[in-house]
Amino acid sequence: MTLVRYSLRRWRGFLGATTVVLVAFQFFMILAARSLELSGRFKLLEAVLPAFMTQASNMIAASFTGFVLFGYSHPLVQLFLIATAIGLGSEPTAAIDTKFVDLMMSRPLPRTVPINRTLVMLLVATIGAMVCMLAATWSGLRLFAPASARQPSAGVVVSLAANLACLVLAWGGLTVALASVSRRRSTVAATAGLLAFTMSVLDYVGRFWDAVAPLARVSPFHYFDPFEIMGGQPLAMSNVVTLLGVFVAGAVMANIAYARRDL
Amino acid sequence: MTLPADGPAIAIRDLAKSYGHVHAVRGVTFDVERGEIFGFLGLNGAGKTTTIRILLDLLRPSRGQAQLFGFDCQRQSRLARAMVGYMPGELGFYSDMTGLEVLDLMARLSGGRHDATLRLQLADRLELARADLRRPLRAYSTGMKRKLGLIQALQTDPPLLILDEPTEGLDPLVQRALHELLFELRGRGRTVFMSSHVLSEVERLCDRIGVIREGEVVLLSTVEEARRRSGRTVQIQFTRPVDALPLPAGMSLVSRTPDRWSVKVEHDIGELMPLLGTLPVRDLEILEPSLEDVLRSFYRTVRP
Repeated sequence: MTLVRYSLRRWRGFLGATTVVLVAFQFFMILAARSLELSGRFKLLEAVLPAFMTQASNMIAASFTGFVLFGYSHPLVQLFLIATAIGLGSEPTAAIDTKFVDLMMSRPLPRTVPINRTLVMLLVATIGAMVCMLAATWSGLRLFAPASARQPSAGVVVSLAANLACLVLAWGGLTVALASVSRRRSTVAATAGLLAFTMSVLDYVGRFWDAVAPLARVSPFHYFDPFEIMGGQPLAMSNVVTLLGVFVAGAVMANIAYARRDL
Repeated sequence: MTLPADGPAIAIRDLAKSYGHVHAVRGVTFDVERGEIFGFLGLNGAGKTTTIRILLDLLRPSRGQAQLFGFDCQRQSRLARAMVGYMPGELGFYSDMTGLEVLDLMARLSGGRHDATLRLQLADRLELARADLRRPLRAYSTGMKRKLGLIQALQTDPPLLILDEPTEGLDPLVQRALHELLFELRGRGRTVFMSSHVLSEVERLCDRIGVIREGEVVLLSTVEEARRRSGRTVQIQFTRPVDALPLPAGMSLVSRTPDRWSVKVEHDIGELMPLLGTLPVRDLEILEPSLEDVLRSFYRTVRP
């Protein structure tokens, strides 16, 4: 736990800033939804939204509720959280890159400590960010929701947050697995970032193009379906299990590889 | 953690480490006894740091075995590392931490066992001001970082110190302070295993030395033995010019002018005396070789 505390101290500025941005984004979406609701412009918005969004979410995307829930599905939110997970997940390589590993691992610590420290950090940061986002949504709705607006249910918001958290953890697990076999943080971050971008595009294309749909199943983004949840579907446990499975598989692979490698 | 009762502090047997076709360490075997200061010498890339990193389980050997106080460096790595204070050649501190934070972190990672008084004494003796310990490392000079590296290695008073180029970047006064510290540690039964390029330092500090060249240990001896292996030079001044004469076995003429000879003597000088008794000798000077002269020959010898 010493190394977790030490890492939290080192990362507190970055994690704090990321959380502030995500919290501010929730408030921004609620205030934007309030403005659109009060001016009756959701009808106009409905006309410009892509068909798959309005259909998949039972038209809820172009509503006060849909706008508020966008705070958990917007690409910028995913980008912020996944970039943070990649940054955190590449920490074991950073220790090798900076040679701090020589000092750290000359102490009587288990070989896999740098990996497990990072996994704990990923869990703490992801859960912390989700809790702060949920608190922002709850307080934003209390403060700014118009009386006439239909608010999203707590179950839908929590389901979206849980699905998003699983997606972030999956990318964290993949990054840690990459970090366990690499020597340079920049290589890990670039590879994980490129992979995330490719998988995101693959998932997007797979949603429109049937020929690509089977291939899109390899993308972790395939198992994050915010519009179905926004449309009232319960959080699919298969999605949760798949994404957490990726996280656990990444964690196990990283532990095995790191225990065997030269540092 | 109690030390096993007997056996060497470091035991290395047929240790090898290869990276593909590159052989960083080739079948190295030697012991470092408890309570000695052992100098591990070699040029850059000779295999010193690779050997040290295998001892700390940072690298896995391709072949062979290494033990610290009887604990296998791979299979019982945590027990082995619990015996060690280590100062790496390259100090990978994070620049946003203060000196004290680094020392606290390293002490906690060592199991929390450190003596705050000892830490401050070390800082004083190595001339790292207490105010500097509260500054972030980005404000540290190279020498200050080296001092901090030494304090973190020494602060838990470990039975074995492994120091990779410990005086690199230190000014002469601090180097002397470190030498005194190491002598004191040896006096208290601690073992010091240090790599160094500075031969005068090794000559002054070390009880024994090992020279590694291209991954192989080419010399293991005390400093005195190493000197003896190189032989001595006898300079003879004559009162008048003397013709060259055949020298006894084990001796060779290094240089000669009509009234001055310089003779390399590999063994005892006594065998030279009968010959000198027949010559008009005015003055005689016996030059002991420096360790540097000795080691230079080991560094340079080319493998067949």
